[in-house]
Amino acid sequence: MARREPQFNQTVLIDPTPMPEHIPKVEEIGASSAPLMKAYGRGELECMKEGRKVTRCAASVLKDINQHCLDEFRQNWNCLDNHNHQMWQCRRSERVLNRCVFEKIGLQKVIPDTPKGDVPVHLRDKQLFANRRSVLYPGESDVGVLKERFKSEQRQGS
Amino acid sequence: MPQDLPPAGGYEAVQYKRNIPIRGLQPVWYLVGCAAIMAYGWRKVFLGNREKNELGREKMWSRIYITPLLQAEEDRDQARRYFADQAREKELLGSTSRPYNSDRFVRPTITYSPSKVTRD
Repeated sequence: MARREPQFNQTVLIDPTPMPEHIPKVEEIGASSAPLMKAYGRGELECMKEGRKVTRCAASVLKDINQHCLDEFRQNWNCLDNHNHQMWQCRRSERVLNRCVFEKIGLQKVIPDTPKGDVPVHLRDKQLFANRRSVLYPGESDVGVLKERFKSEQRQGS
Repeated sequence: MPQDLPPAGGYEAVQYKRNIPIRGLQPVWYLVGCAAIMAYGWRKVFLGNREKNELGREKMWSRIYITPLLQAEEDRDQARRYFADQAREKELLGSTSRPYNSDRFVRPTITYSPSKVTRD
């Protein structure tokens, strides 16, 4: 049916004109993939200063993570890439990364509105949907941290 | 003629019951067993659904947290295209006009496409 070449394809819709000079430059994260709707129609032009702040803040956080926790970060996103970006499959590497980020940079992952009294889902030792349900290996009190009992046993063994 | 009468003391009881002991469990225990298996499974489903809710909450909040970042880039891209459009119009017509009777930013429905398609 559709023998005609599509005329409005993405290749001709590229507008390569750079931003005017009077607007300060900001290095993009390069993360936006989908347009998001806004409440106010003027925001695109009037909130540019705030937008630059947001982008620079995010860039600085990424720079800090790359500087201090690069190995943990790489391990986590490699795991996520290998597991279809299902976060429950990669809790172990995520907890290692979160601990590194908290110790070095001081940022903590918080999920608002988690039911009171429940352990937040990213801190649970048992992930019901994961291929490997238990996050901790036997004898660990936290990821990569052995229990006291196993520590003394190791000392005796060595 | 003398009539046929029941024997003295009445007839013996007719044995219509089978006198066989019941084999295996009583049927009610099968019902109880089914209910127990069902209850176990439903418990697992409940726990799984609760965890699924929490995973959904995690996903939604991670998207909410990243929205400003994506929005800022998208808006900057829209503004760049807008300014480019204004400059082009100025160059072609010598003036800029407003097609809409409002100050809102309207995402353009008609897009400029360059005559020479090059992208490096």
